Amino acid sequence: MNYETVIGIEIHCELKTKTKMFSSAPVSFGEVANTCVNEIDLGHPGCLPCVNREAVRLAIKAATALHCTIDPLVRFDRKNYYYSDLPKGFQITQQFHPIGSGGYVEIDTEEGKKKIRLNRMHMEEDTAKQFHSDAGTLIDFNRAGTPLIEIVSEPDMRSGAQAAAYVEKLRMILLYLGVSDVKMEEGSMRCDVNISLRPQGSDTFGTKTEIKNLNSISNVQKAIDAEVERQRAILEEGGVIEQATRRYDETKKTTVMMRKKEGNVDYKYFPEPNIFPIRLDDRWIADIQEHLEELPDQRKERYMRDFGLSDYDAGVLVATRELADFYEAVCAHTNAYKKAANWVIVELTAALNKTNTKWKDNPCKAASLAEMINMVEKGDISGKQAKIVFEEILKGKEPKQVVEEKGMKQMSDTGELLTMIQSVLDANPQSIADFKNGKDRAVGFLVGQVMKASKGQANPAMTNRLIQEELKKR
Amino acid sequence: MRLSDQKDIEIRERCEQALARLHALQPSLNAVVTFCDIDEQLEALKEKDPNGKLYGVPIVLKDNVSTKGIRTTASSRILDNYVPVYDACIVERLKAEGAIIVAKASMDELGMGGTNKNAYTGKVNNPYDTRRISGGSSGGSAVLVAAGATAVSIGTDTGDSVRKPAAYNGIIGVKPTYGRISRYGIIPYASSLDHVGYFTTNVEDACTMLEVLAGRDDRDMTSSLRPVEAYRDHLNSDLRGKVIGVLENVQEVIRDQAIRDNVEALCEKLAARGAQIRRVRMPQELMETILPVYLTIANAEATANHSNLDGIRFGMREDGESVEEVMKNSRTKGFSAYVRKRFIIGSYSLFVENQDKLFRKAQKIRRMLVDHYRALFAECDCILASAAPTVAPLEDEASDEALGKEHLVADNHMQLGNFSGYPSMTLPSGFVDGLPIGVNITCRPFEEQMMFDIAKAIEEETGLADHTVEVKA
Amino acid sequence: METFDKEYFQKLAGGIMLDVNDEEVEDLKQEFAILTSQIQLFDKVDTEGVEPMIYPFEEETHFLREDVVDHVLSQQDALKNAKSVRAGHVHVPKVVK
Repeated sequence: MNYETVIGIEIHCELKTKTKMFSSAPVSFGEVANTCVNEIDLGHPGCLPCVNREAVRLAIKAATALHCTIDPLVRFDRKNYYYSDLPKGFQITQQFHPIGSGGYVEIDTEEGKKKIRLNRMHMEEDTAKQFHSDAGTLIDFNRAGTPLIEIVSEPDMRSGAQAAAYVEKLRMILLYLGVSDVKMEEGSMRCDVNISLRPQGSDTFGTKTEIKNLNSISNVQKAIDAEVERQRAILEEGGVIEQATRRYDETKKTTVMMRKKEGNVDYKYFPEPNIFPIRLDDRWIADIQEHLEELPDQRKERYMRDFGLSDYDAGVLVATRELADFYEAVCAHTNAYKKAANWVIVELTAALNKTNTKWKDNPCKAASLAEMINMVEKGDISGKQAKIVFEEILKGKEPKQVVEEKGMKQMSDTGELLTMIQSVLDANPQSIADFKNGKDRAVGFLVGQVMKASKGQANPAMTNRLIQEELKKR
Repeated sequence: MRLSDQKDIEIRERCEQALARLHALQPSLNAVVTFCDIDEQLEALKEKDPNGKLYGVPIVLKDNVSTKGIRTTASSRILDNYVPVYDACIVERLKAEGAIIVAKASMDELGMGGTNKNAYTGKVNNPYDTRRISGGSSGGSAVLVAAGATAVSIGTDTGDSVRKPAAYNGIIGVKPTYGRISRYGIIPYASSLDHVGYFTTNVEDACTMLEVLAGRDDRDMTSSLRPVEAYRDHLNSDLRGKVIGVLENVQEVIRDQAIRDNVEALCEKLAARGAQIRRVRMPQELMETILPVYLTIANAEATANHSNLDGIRFGMREDGESVEEVMKNSRTKGFSAYVRKRFIIGSYSLFVENQDKLFRKAQKIRRMLVDHYRALFAECDCILASAAPTVAPLEDEASDEALGKEHLVADNHMQLGNFSGYPSMTLPSGFVDGLPIGVNITCRPFEEQMMFDIAKAIEEETGLADHTVEVKA
Repeated sequence: METFDKEYFQKLAGGIMLDVNDEEVEDLKQEFAILTSQIQLFDKVDTEGVEPMIYPFEEETHFLREDVVDHVLSQQDALKNAKSVRAGHVHVPKVVK
């Protein structure tokens, strides 16, 4: 039987605020344990929550970019459960009135563009971090209370690739908005995937499993592919899928059961009595929406429109924020946009990869790279020479300096070049005859001879043009 | 005892005398959980403005008020070793005005109760007759002011936990409008019903205390932005033109003739001063739902509010093989059977399938009650009723769950003040068999000035200002 | 409707991290009988079209806290009330997930 895969994804993102969702203690990563907390984050008796304006602002930005309908009346609810990483014994979240509802994310699939619908986007608070060992569990409350947004998709994805594209697209959007660090490996973006299979054409859902703790986008796809295969094998043998929470084992390349789900947990949600409903100012919301950062899709379109880049090149640049930002910095100094894209995408990326250098430590100065590209454009140096100059730029040198030191100046003096061309032509009467007989490749041969005679310093484009002119005269 | 008393005595001596009185009263009243060290506070006082409204005044706090560095137990075993790392908002305000905290007072565990029998340190005794209860949940704070240990004390009021003990102990108990005083740092009971309140022996001090305690606190998002008034300077007992409604549903079910007569006599005096007295009523069937509505909402909110008491980050932790066992053991041993039972009921009422018939249903009836109650204030400036249908009960007569109409209506009507958030206070109005009884008045939201003005007139008529009792050892 | 027996109350109590003994189970049975009659009392009140009242006052508010670090505890204060502390962390027996 043919099965259809049905995937829905819940994503939690830590918001990039200075303080917690409901307390004025700092948001941190990698700080000394339990030094970024106050009594509110520890759930000490008598504490009351106080909503962070910046968290709401970032949530509005995200909701706008995701095309959600924004509820201007902010309300919170309690989600009640006991766990050692949850200090109050309840999490303050937005169960009944999420700040964003509806909306969609557009992804590219093999069949073209596809809109993944969103169910909701709401604000809530993070839990503490726990470290488990045989000697017990250690709890660090620094993360407790960090503002989160949870984005819940509709079950609209049909493959691991689509799911990965969705997560990647969301990640890019939130990154470009400056809403979150979206680092999956550090946990500032966390992804829970719900997967079920159903016979092709069926309109009811099969039993789903949930995969938690996925720490990279490639693992999202690998985990889903593995889980789909697992479920398919069970169904094909006539078995039943057990509702459970699973995790992805990278070494075994398979999903592993974490715990069974016995019915739905009743979180006894009820409205948070300590936070009166907060009416957001319409002008404030409008102002946030009008000043929204350029989104990845918009930037990609602009690169294609203003820089004449291909869909592919624009896509590659935009996919890595630092790459795109650097590319724009280069384009501020040169008009050779396509060449610049090529240098950034191919040469610079390869160079950084080779030395295992992170983008934030990129040693290449945008202005230097642009200057070098301009030299090639003007014919001052050859493409071959440019590669040598580039190596030196990475070491912090200025292109001009490199060209002078290495004596790379291309021979662009027409007089000098002409003399050389005349002697090459005189020495190759057969090539002249070939040219007259319509054999164009004779030109290539002659250019090569001139290059040889000049020890590579002749400007190839200029040489080509002059040879053709001289040939016509003979 | 008044705030202005003992101004001639040097501050340290004044505080030491207060502490001495607290120690002397402890065997008979059992009202104190923790006696406080005053040395550091007196040292800090040197930096404070001597014109502070409470400069050098000893004060007692209910033990659910968080005090940095001073053990705060809420009279629950699970918090027996808990020392807050921060001060409640009102502690900051009291200290800013120069108050010296001399003791933390006993209460019903976590505020859950109206007798003060359910405290980890045991029953608090009524200073008029130690065999009787103090009432609760702010019983310790009430009896200490009634016995003249301090001029004022802090309580909290979720059902009537300031106003009922005030009545049983012959003093003033004030619960201002919801949001008038910040709740930041008050160990909660039920957040949508919790109010900070206080005890005094006269209306002037009641005015002063509200001036100190009230005002916006950004840490409590439910606290009001309205400016705090100069209640004491504006105090005016002229009743001409004021309309006082007597809540008949309450008066008619009180069996004790003397208590009914007390209100009638008072009303005549108020009428003689120019007040218009009206008889008003609420729908009877709704009045009979007050207690179950109250318990349903309060238990539900309380069970969630107290989920943080798990022995992990603070409080008494009991050992266990797993973290779950630690939580279970700590909570089971840490709470009294009575509180555990109420948590279980509260949790039940919050299940998805039960909310419509219990928690949310109670919230709906709460709205109906408040709508009817609000309507009374369209024609009345104040609603008046007996604070309680009886004098303070003897220990074994007192129960939080007695049934019968007198109890259902007359013993619980003050919860209307918590449902609505309206300002409400109890004043002593006389004695029955040598035991104090009180009258309750409630006004429109944020009309504390009106409430104090009417209270002042009542106080002038009863002549019970500054009344305290000497405890017979 | 569920049966209010020992097993039910143990599960109910377990959900909020409490144990109940036999005596308490008997007490709870009585409580739940009262609760059932209370539900009947509530049922008699017609609340059709009435919204739940969540807060005493329902005027909308506008205040949001500015995102400025204001109040942080020292690690010592943060951990001072915890019974078991190891390496700057609150320590508990191993959490079985």
